Amino acid sequence: MVKKSSITPYLFLAPAMIVIAVFFLYPIVAVFYYSFTDYNIVTPPQWIGLKNYQVLMRDAIFWQALSHSLVYLLVTPVLIFLSTILAIVVNRRLPGINAFRALFFIPVISGSIAVGIAWRLMLDTNGIINGLLISLGVLAEPFQWLAEPALTLPIAMLLTIWLGVGYYMMIFLAGLQNISEELYDAALIDGCNGWQKHWHVSIPGLRPQITFIAVISSLAALQVFNEIFTLTGGLGGILNSGVTLVFYLWRQAFRLNHAGMASAIAVVLLVITLIFSITNIRFLERGTQAD
Amino acid sequence: MEIARAKPHTVVRGTRRLPRHFIENAFWYVVLSLVAVITVFPFIWVFFTSFKGLNDPIFSVPPQLIPRDPTLENYLRVWRLLPVGRFYLNSILVTFGVMVLNTLFASLAAYPLAKMQFWGRDTIFYLLLATYIVPPVLTSIPSFILAVKVFHYYDRLQSVIFPYLAGVLSIFLMRQAFKGVPDDLLDAGRMDGASEFRIWWDIVLPVVRPSLATVAIITFVEQWNNFFWPSLMLHTRENMTLQVGLVALQGAFANDARGIAAGVVMTVIPIIIFFSALQQQFVRGLTGAVKG
Repeated sequence: MVKKSSITPYLFLAPAMIVIAVFFLYPIVAVFYYSFTDYNIVTPPQWIGLKNYQVLMRDAIFWQALSHSLVYLLVTPVLIFLSTILAIVVNRRLPGINAFRALFFIPVISGSIAVGIAWRLMLDTNGIINGLLISLGVLAEPFQWLAEPALTLPIAMLLTIWLGVGYYMMIFLAGLQNISEELYDAALIDGCNGWQKHWHVSIPGLRPQITFIAVISSLAALQVFNEIFTLTGGLGGILNSGVTLVFYLWRQAFRLNHAGMASAIAVVLLVITLIFSITNIRFLERGTQAD
Repeated sequence: MEIARAKPHTVVRGTRRLPRHFIENAFWYVVLSLVAVITVFPFIWVFFTSFKGLNDPIFSVPPQLIPRDPTLENYLRVWRLLPVGRFYLNSILVTFGVMVLNTLFASLAAYPLAKMQFWGRDTIFYLLLATYIVPPVLTSIPSFILAVKVFHYYDRLQSVIFPYLAGVLSIFLMRQAFKGVPDDLLDAGRMDGASEFRIWWDIVLPVVRPSLATVAIITFVEQWNNFFWPSLMLHTRENMTLQVGLVALQGAFANDARGIAAGVVMTVIPIIIFFSALQQQFVRGLTGAVKG
């Protein structure tokens, strides 16, 4: 470590820090200011104090969006459950297992827009899903999957899960391969069978990965947009059934030009995200202390 | 190509006989194949649908997957109606531009954070840490206003490049990598009278090449699939990236499932080819962030 009071370190930092100041730090401050204004982007912002927040508190769609975003967090436990199981399965030494691992990773890189649009085609009234279900005798006639308000959110969540499982599986797989072999031997000596062995050795060994994934997938769930956007064709679903906080923010800001109102939603989102992150980090610290 | 080497602890031990082992393996193959079908089916279906002519139905009972009379007509129709070549060019420019510059700026910024002591270092680091938690969508409103009123680059490619030239995650990953470089190596360079910049470029960067690859790959995938901000900025079709163009196509081809399918295939194909060629690097890169 060199101790020099020169400008060298600042020169190294300058390019990145300028970008971060302009595109991260300034916007964070500005969004707070805009949230106290009436602003349509075209005419200058007018200071209106807490009015945006007051309107928001009485806005039924805002509460709907907030509850949808919280419901969306259910993808996290499902993702953790499915990807742990899948990681244990692909950790077996089977011929050709690498091909399966690669295959399961493809949704991760293909992008939620293209995949969301593909899903929308498949779930269309004239899509393959109806075709399959009718020929299997499950349905008698085509069902309008995407026109059913009760299904908008579950279908989007299914898409999020489908997109994410392969990524989290790889993280768990890397974790599994770091677990000492001796622990499994000890478990066998203690009389554990195959699945008990995983319950007593694999799952505790994967705790750092589980915590990490709980953090990143719940933050991603709070910010979901692309899945809703593609599945509902940018409309948010019938009766706002797919409107989440971020989708509502987007609609207020960029469809209705209510930049002030949208900024207030952004501040609410930030507060929720901070509460979440702090809880998660506490949880993470406790997890590592116990190790 | 191996993605990750399996340790042998999953090998069946003890006195189990071969048939049992064999049946067990068969069971796992069935499970794996089921998951594989669920994973790959949407891609396969979109792929075949994009080659269906008007004589091959999208919807039928029982469903018909493979076109009887395959045609390129859907692709030609999409190319005729939309500047797909421009979409590709724009996506490539943005993705590679951001990838190179973001990796460069991150490795510049991370070097003093890892290897130098200076006034404000910890403050800067915690400031970066704090911005990492902030949802990107939150910055979109002021950034939009900046783009329109200050930078005047609304509807231009710069608008989707500049905001991504510094990534907090990239800086963290590079800082972590630099911390692993022994100080002796740097001191040797300093003895020889090399400037900090030379030490960074000639000594440190070559050592952390795997981390550079990790950052580059994360940036690549993120940028290729980036949609939210580009969809706010890029308005004219000639200026759209593939993802934004694909949504425009979905709007323009509302009832044309075959055309939309062709668009999806064109968007996904390049990254799948990239992935197939560099599987190991992709997986290590994208999951490498976890340990970092």
